[in-house]
Amino acid sequence: METIKNALDFSDSPRIDLTIAGLVALFLLVFPIFPHSAFAMATMIQFLMFSLYGMGWNTIGGYGGQVDLGKAQYVGIGAYTTAVMLIRWDVPFWISMPIGMCFAVIWSFIIGYPLFRLKGHYFAIATIATTLVLKDIFEVWDFVGAARGLEISPIKYIPPDFLRLIFKQDVYYYYVILGFFFLGILYVNWFRRSRLGFQLRSIKDNEDVAQSLGINVHWAKVKTYAIATAFVSLVGSFHACYIKNIEPEDTMSLDLSILIALMAMLGGAGSLWGPIIGAGILIPCKSYLKEWLGAQVGLVGIDLIIYAGIIMVISAFEPRGIWGIVEKVRRRKRS
Amino acid sequence: MALLEIHGLIKDFGGLRANDDISITMERGELVGLIGPNGAGKTTLFNCVSGLHPVTSGRVMFDGQDITDLKAHEVARLGLARTFQVYVASGDLNVEENVMVGCFMRTRSPSRARARANEILKDLNLHDVSEFRVSELTVAAQKRVTMATALGSDPKLLLLDEVAAGLNPSEIEEIMADIRHVHEDMGVTVMLIEHVMELVMKVSDRVIVLDSGKKIAEGDPETIVEDPRVIKAYLGERYVREHGGDIG
Ligand SMILES: Nc1ncnc2c1ncn2[C@@H]1O[C@H](COP(=O)(O)OP(=O)(O)OP(=O)(O)O)[C@@H](O)[C@H]1O
Ligand SMILES: [Mg+2]
Repeated sequence: METIKNALDFSDSPRIDLTIAGLVALFLLVFPIFPHSAFAMATMIQFLMFSLYGMGWNTIGGYGGQVDLGKAQYVGIGAYTTAVMLIRWDVPFWISMPIGMCFAVIWSFIIGYPLFRLKGHYFAIATIATTLVLKDIFEVWDFVGAARGLEISPIKYIPPDFLRLIFKQDVYYYYVILGFFFLGILYVNWFRRSRLGFQLRSIKDNEDVAQSLGINVHWAKVKTYAIATAFVSLVGSFHACYIKNIEPEDTMSLDLSILIALMAMLGGAGSLWGPIIGAGILIPCKSYLKEWLGAQVGLVGIDLIIYAGIIMVISAFEPRGIWGIVEKVRRRKRS
Repeated sequence: MALLEIHGLIKDFGGLRANDDISITMERGELVGLIGPNGAGKTTLFNCVSGLHPVTSGRVMFDGQDITDLKAHEVARLGLARTFQVYVASGDLNVEENVMVGCFMRTRSPSRARARANEILKDLNLHDVSEFRVSELTVAAQKRVTMATALGSDPKLLLLDEVAAGLNPSEIEEIMADIRHVHEDMGVTVMLIEHVMELVMKVSDRVIVLDSGKKIAEGDPETIVEDPRVIKAYLGERYVREHGGDIG
């Protein structure tokens, strides 16, 4: 009971934030009613997906301060579990998604348990390495289609199929992921003020002090890593049904891992709204850039240069991202 | 049964023996001062007792249980809390939330943790600053917040590492009152490391002196200040020879 109350309690956010959040939520709810291009719809769905990736990353990477550059491996596990189960055994999304989540969480324990003995940069590098290994395995594993990947053929189903999440119109996908988006916000809102949320912030500040306050630092990190993983795997499962064509290259790539971390960091690691702000800025940029670049041969890869630029700007000026700047300005006004 | 028993504790850092065969017994309800020159091994002893450093040899018993090989968080959960000599919470938690982290050791519920944190903040007269970030406070208030955080876990034994360092006389008075309050009213057994002699001598029931990793003296404050070994440790060999050791 207290859990539900706390998840719905946003009273520590200033009224202006809540007003803006309310307006954005209203816009998201009614957006499909207005005339829009297929491109705009696809961009919105990407925005919601990446917001959820970012929210997941933010638990361990933001609140916990453990820079995780390997989130894509769990996108892959979610996506592949759902795709394989649907194609081979006709298992609906609502069953394969939690199963994928379990696989991803189990894998996150296997990886997280030893990796969290490492600190700082070593941890970040190790998360990259494990993703590369998993991707290599999937690229040669015939059961999951090896490097060709898997394709969910929509002809076999009669859309709209709400059980299998097979739709003709994107608007259905939009509302499904929007539902997860709102639930994700409520979860993080609860999480940040839960015991684990507080413990993580203490760990981020100073691990010796955290231990002396009775916190099992290693276990708290492993647990939170599993929570982050569950978020990411859920969106991966959704990705399989939405894109219908998955390959190791696009579900488990280093690019994806970095984009997830970058977005949360740009918006504000360790804040409730940060990952959403980050996704809201970067995803439209990315989509338009990609479309524009389609016609400009010779500029491929410029998006990576832009990301690198953003990373440098964040680390040089404000490690707490855009939200960090907002809070700084507010504190200056108050004092 | 004593609350804390340290038997022959040795701690080596490579070739350096930071704690050399230290034995200390503390009864429930005592307030013990731990003094010694810089580098004597006081903080190291706290680190060993609280489980942050593995000991080289020796045993530590707490509340009837052997805690020598327990991890720091396990020791804390048994009721042994501590503060740190040079730590200021710099993260994004405010004062109240910092204290709540301590309280979360005994409860899962955020509202119960918040309620307990506020009780402690009131007790230590920190209620006015509960919304501030720790880094925005004076050094004195920061030190009291670290004490409040440690108290959040409702400890049986509290180890304080130089909470009065860098404070002015009126702030020292204040923190002295806090320590007495914690000891007498809250019933917490306290061991405190301190360079501010005035404070140690006033509040301690008993004083233990470390020098170069060894325990060189132990007794009530009045006898300790006259102990030639202690004077020698603080002022050096020559001073004692020239003055015959009688500076009380
Ligand atoms: N982690 C460590 N690694 C190596 N040497 C250490 C470590 N911690 C402490 N030492 C050394 O152990 C000795 C005792 O240090 P300690 O910090 O315990 O002294 P202290 O009595 O607390 O001194 P101070 O009054 O200055 O705080 C010093 O020589 C110190 O350099
Ligand atoms: Mg010290």
